Amino acid sequence: MAEKNERQPARVDFRPGRGGPMNARVNGEKPKAMLPTLARLFRYIGRSRIVVIAVVLLTVTVTILEIYGPKLQQQAIDTFSLVKNADGTSRLTVDFDLLVKKLITLVAINLAAGLISFASGRMGARLAQKTVYLMRRELFEKITRLPIGYTDTHKHGDIMSRMTNDVDNVSTAISQSLTTLISALLTLIGSLVMMLSYSWIMTVVAMVTIPLTVFVSSRLAKFMRKYYVANQVLLGRLNGQVEESVTGYRTVVAYGREDAEVGKFGGISSEYRKSSIKARVWGSVMGPVMNFLGNLQYVLIAATGGYLFLNGRLESVGAIQAMLQYSKHFTRPINMIANQYASVLTALAGAERLFEMLDSKEETDEGRLTVSPEDIRGDIEFKNVDFGYIPEKPVLKDLNLSIKAGQKIAIVGATGSGKTTVVNLLTRFYETDGGRITIDGYDITDLPIETLRNTIAIVLQDTVLFSDTIRNNIKYGKPDAGDEAVRAAAHTANADSFIDRLPDGYDTQLTESGGNLSAGQRQLLSISRAVLADPRILILDEATSSVDTRTEMHIQQAMVALMKNRTSLIIAHRLSTIRDADVIVVLRGGRIVESGSHEELLAAGGEYYSLYRNQFAGIAT
Amino acid sequence: MFKLFRFMKPYRLLAIISPIIMAGEVTGDLCLPFLMSFLVNYGVMGENIRDPEKGSRIALRLLEFFGVSPSDRMAVIIAFGAMMLAVTLLGGFMGTLCAWTAASASQGMGNDLRRAAYRKVMSLSIEQTDRFTTGSLVTRMTNDITQVVDFSESIIRHFVRSPAFFIGGTVMLLRLNLSFGVILLCALPVMVVLMAMIISKAVPIFSVVQDKLDRVNAVVQENVGGARVVKAFSREEYECERFDKANRDMRDTTLRVTLLLTFISPVITITMALATAAIIFIGGWSVKIGDAGMTVGAVMAGTSYITQVLSSVMMLTMIFQSVSRAGASAKRINEVLDSDPVIKGGSLEEGDGSAAAVEFRDVSFSYPGTTGRSVLSGVNLRVERGETLAVIGQTGSGKTSLVGLIPRFYDCTEGEVFVNGRDVKEYDLASLRKKIGYVMQKTELFSDSVENNIKWGKPDATSDEVTEAAETAQASEFVESLPEKYGDFIAEKGASLSGGQKQRLSIARALVRKPEILILDDSTSALDLATEASLLRALKAKHDDTTIIMIAQRIASVKSADRIAVIEEDGSIRHCAPHDELMKTSDTYRDIYASQVKSGALI
Repeated sequence: MAEKNERQPARVDFRPGRGGPMNARVNGEKPKAMLPTLARLFRYIGRSRIVVIAVVLLTVTVTILEIYGPKLQQQAIDTFSLVKNADGTSRLTVDFDLLVKKLITLVAINLAAGLISFASGRMGARLAQKTVYLMRRELFEKITRLPIGYTDTHKHGDIMSRMTNDVDNVSTAISQSLTTLISALLTLIGSLVMMLSYSWIMTVVAMVTIPLTVFVSSRLAKFMRKYYVANQVLLGRLNGQVEESVTGYRTVVAYGREDAEVGKFGGISSEYRKSSIKARVWGSVMGPVMNFLGNLQYVLIAATGGYLFLNGRLESVGAIQAMLQYSKHFTRPINMIANQYASVLTALAGAERLFEMLDSKEETDEGRLTVSPEDIRGDIEFKNVDFGYIPEKPVLKDLNLSIKAGQKIAIVGATGSGKTTVVNLLTRFYETDGGRITIDGYDITDLPIETLRNTIAIVLQDTVLFSDTIRNNIKYGKPDAGDEAVRAAAHTANADSFIDRLPDGYDTQLTESGGNLSAGQRQLLSISRAVLADPRILILDEATSSVDTRTEMHIQQAMVALMKNRTSLIIAHRLSTIRDADVIVVLRGGRIVESGSHEELLAAGGEYYSLYRNQFAGIAT
Repeated sequence: MFKLFRFMKPYRLLAIISPIIMAGEVTGDLCLPFLMSFLVNYGVMGENIRDPEKGSRIALRLLEFFGVSPSDRMAVIIAFGAMMLAVTLLGGFMGTLCAWTAASASQGMGNDLRRAAYRKVMSLSIEQTDRFTTGSLVTRMTNDITQVVDFSESIIRHFVRSPAFFIGGTVMLLRLNLSFGVILLCALPVMVVLMAMIISKAVPIFSVVQDKLDRVNAVVQENVGGARVVKAFSREEYECERFDKANRDMRDTTLRVTLLLTFISPVITITMALATAAIIFIGGWSVKIGDAGMTVGAVMAGTSYITQVLSSVMMLTMIFQSVSRAGASAKRINEVLDSDPVIKGGSLEEGDGSAAAVEFRDVSFSYPGTTGRSVLSGVNLRVERGETLAVIGQTGSGKTSLVGLIPRFYDCTEGEVFVNGRDVKEYDLASLRKKIGYVMQKTELFSDSVENNIKWGKPDATSDEVTEAAETAQASEFVESLPEKYGDFIAEKGASLSGGQKQRLSIARALVRKPEILILDDSTSALDLATEASLLRALKAKHDDTTIIMIAQRIASVKSADRIAVIEEDGSIRHCAPHDELMKTSDTYRDIYASQVKSGALI
C-alpha cells in the first residue's frame, strides 16, 4: 500500500507544450560546473527574495502539518480500546469525546495544510512565471545585442530551444524542485524524528529498506532514461522524415518516390513502436517495484511492531499504525529527491547554456562622435582592410576602395570573392581584422552603431519580413512615417499595384516571414522599406535576383531615382543591373582586380570583359 | 474518434487481455487492506478470529490453508505479512504485464495508423497538400497521432483500472460497514463537481497557451533569422517591445492556467481529510452505540478504501478531460485519412514514340479552389522530341503552372495535355512521371549524402551514373572539393551550400534519371552565366534526344534555345519562335530584351 493510497495527490503536471511526464529526466544531462551555476541561479532568484522566502516558509509549515497528521490519526484510533469483560471475552470501547476532539483537530490541520499549500502554490506559480518572463526578456534583449556573427554561427533551432525549453526547465527547477526538495527533506527528517519517538527499534527496521529503495530506483531510472532517450531520438527522426517529405512533396511526386518514402517512414515508425513499448514497460516497472519495497517495509514494521507489542515493549496499537503511516512518508521523499535530483541537473545544464549565451560578447558600440545621420554626405573609404570569418581563411586582403558621396558603385565577382563581406564590414555586422573603414572621414568604429546604421539602408537577396501588417513592414525603417509616405514609397518601388489588389490592402497581415506572398512581392516590399527609410547610403545585395526582369526594369527606374544623391553599393551577378554604375569593382579572391566604368572595363578587356562576354555571349553573336 | 479504433482491430486480443490482467492487479490492491486489517486485528490486537461478529472466516481459512495456528499471534502477523508481499509481487507482475500488453496494443495501432496516414499523405494530389498546408500535415502526422495513441493506451490501462478501483473499493467499503457508504455518497459529488469545474475551465486555456508560445517563438525566429535587417534599421528596441508583448501575453495566460490548477491540490487534501475523519468518526459512533461489528481494523481499512475510491475518481476526471483533446486530434487525422487523391492515373505506360514529346491543346488553367481569372488561357504549344524550348514571362504569368501540368501536379481546367501523343490522364502516374526529370524552382535537398541526394532520382543508379550526372550538371567540381566528396553529408537541407550549388545538385538528380523530358523551372537562376552556358552545352552534347523545357528570366539563358515561348500577362502564349523571330514579332519579348540589354551595346 506504499504509494497508491497516498493522501497527497500526485502533482498535476500538465503544463502545455511538453511531452510526457518523463521529460525532465529524458536528457539526463550533467552540468559542467555545478556550483558556480547554482550560485548564479540563486542570484537570479534573489530578485524575488521575499517571495522565495515566503514560499519556503509556507512549505515548511505545510510539511510540519502533514507530518503531524498521522500522529493525530493514530491518537484518534487510540481512543478505541479493548476492555476485558468479566467472562474473559473482550469488548471494544471508545472515548468518544476525545475522539471527536482529535478528529476536529485532524480536519483543522488538514484544512490549514490545504489552504497554506494553496497559497504557496499560487505564489510559486507567480514566481515561476515572473522568472520565466524576466529570463526570456533578458535573453531576447541579449539576442538583439549580439553580433551577426553569433546568429550566423549558431543553429537557429538551438537559440530557439534555449528561449523555450531551457528557460522552462530552469523555472520549474526554481519553483517546484526547490519546494519539493525542501518538503521532501523535512518530511524525511520529521518522519524520522516522529518514528523515533515511538520506537527506535521499529525505526531501525524501517530504515533497512531505504538503501534498497535508493539503489533500485536509481538503477531503474537509468534504464528508463536510456530507453526514453532512444525513443526521443527515433521520434525526432520520424518527425524529420514527415517534415522533409511533406515540405518537398512536389519533388517526391515528380520523382515518383512516394513508395520509397512510405517504406522509409514505415521502417522508422516500426522501430519507434518497438522502442516505445520498451520505454513504456520499463517506465511502468518503477511503480510496482516501489510498491513492493514499500509493502516490504510495511510488513517489516508490522511484524516488528507486533512482536514488540506482544512482548509488552510497545504500549499501543496506534503506535504501530502511526509507524506504518510514517513509513510511507519515508519512502516517498526518497523517490522525490531522486526524481528532483535528475530534473535539477537538467535545469542546471540548461542554465549553463543560458548563461553562456548571456555572457557572449556583444556588439561593440563605443563610438562617441555625435553626428546626425542627416549630416552625413556619404563618402566611404576602405583602407587596407583585412578580414576573415575564421582567422585561417582570409576573405578580404588589403582591400582599398574609395567611394565618393552620391556615387553608384557596383561590386561584381564570383561566389566567394568577398562581395557580401564588404557590406558586412561597412554595416559593422562584422569587425575588420585590420585596416579601417571611414564614412565622411569618420572611422566607423568612432560612430555610434545606431548613427552608422541609420545612414544605411539595405535590401538583401533573402527578404526578411515580419509577421505584421504590410504597412508596418514598409514603415520598419521609419516608424513615424505617415500613410501617404508609405504609399509613396510603395509606389516608387512598384509595390502599390499588388498591395492594392490584396483584400486588406496595406493592413494585410503577413503570415510568419511573409509566406503568403510570392518571392517577387516580398522583394518589392523590402525595397519599399528601403525607399521609405531614405538613407544616405543604399546597399542592394542581390536585391533583384528573385524579381523577373520586367518587374526589375520597373524597379530599376525607381532605383535610379532613389539612388540619385546618395551613395549606392550594388552587389549583383546580373550584369544588366550594374552597367549604369559609376564605378564597377571586380573582386577576386578578396582583392580588387579591376575597377572603372562599364565602358572603361570593357575596353580594358580584362576580367570584367570576360564576365560580360559570358553574360551576353548569346546576344553578341 | 471511434472510427480510428478500427486500427485497434489487429491488436484487439492484446487490448482485451490487458484490462483483464489489470483486473488481477486491482484485485490484489483491493485485497491488501483486508490482509492488513487481518494482520492488525488478529495478529497485533489479538482479537478472536472465530468470534461471530469480530472474527473472519476468510482470515481463518487463510490461516488454516497455510497451517498457521490463530493463537500464535506472531505467526499470524508473519503469515499475513507474507501474503501481503506475495499479493504485491503478483500484482506488480500483472501491472507490468498489463503495461506491456497495453503498450503493445496501442503502439501497434499507432504504428499502423501512422503508416496508413503517411501512405495517404504520400498519395494525395498537390492541390490537397496545398490545402492542408505543410505545417498542419506535419502536426497531424506527429502530435495528433501521438495524442490518439497515448489516449488509447490510457483508456486500456485506466478506463478499467479506475472504474475497477472505484467499484471494488466501494464494494469493499460497504462490506466493511454499510454506514461508510454514506460518507462516500457525500464526498463523491463534492469532489467530482469541483474537479470537473477546475479542469473544464483550464483545458480551453491550454490551446491559448500553445498559441501564445507559438507567437513567442515566431518573434524569436524572425529576429534570429532576420537579425541583419533588424540591425540595419536599428530597430532593436522596437523588437524588444514586440517580444515583450508576446512574452507578457504568454506569462499572463500561463499564469491563468497554473493558478486555476492550484485549486486542485487543496480540494483533494481537504476532501480526503474530511472523508477520513468521517470514517473514524462513524467507527467511534458505532462503538459508542454498541455496534459490535465495528473493529479497529475495519476503521483502518475503511480509511484506506475511501482514499482509494476518491483517487480513482480523480483519475477518471483527468481521463475525461483528455477525451476532448484526443477527439480533436482524431478528427484531424480522419480528415487526412478520408481524403482521396483528386488526381488519379490511368493504365497507359508508353505513348507513341513518334508523336510530339509534349503538346498543349487549348489549355486553360486556374488553381483549384480559386475564382477569378485563369492563370493560363487557351494555350496551344507543341514541343518536339529533342527540342529545347524556353519559357519566358513575367512573375506570376503562369510559367510554373504550365510545366506543372505535364507531370500532372495539377490537371488543366480546359483542354488537354499530351505526352508522346497520348493524353496525360491516360497514363499510369508513376510511368508518366518516370519520363520526366523535374527540377524545382525552390531546390529541395534532403538530409543525406550528396550521392544519395543525386541517386534520389534513381535509387539503383551506379556511382558512375552519379558522377556522370554531376559532371553534366556542372556539379562535379565543387563536389570533389568537399571533404568527403560524394559521401559528404548535406545537413539541414543544404544550408551549407550556396544557391548555385544546390541548384546544380538538383539538376544532377534529374539527369541521373535519363529523362525523356527535362523540366528546368527557373533552376539555373543562381548560376553565373558561364556555368549556365556550360551546363546547357553539356546537356545538348550528352542528352541530345531529351526534350528540354526550361523556364528562365534571363534573355541570355533562353537565347540559345530552339524556340522560346513567351507567356503574356493574360496567361496566353501568342508567340513561340526562335530569338531572332521573336525580336521582330513579340512586343513582350522585345520589352524583356530591352530591360536586360538597355543600351543595346554589343549588338
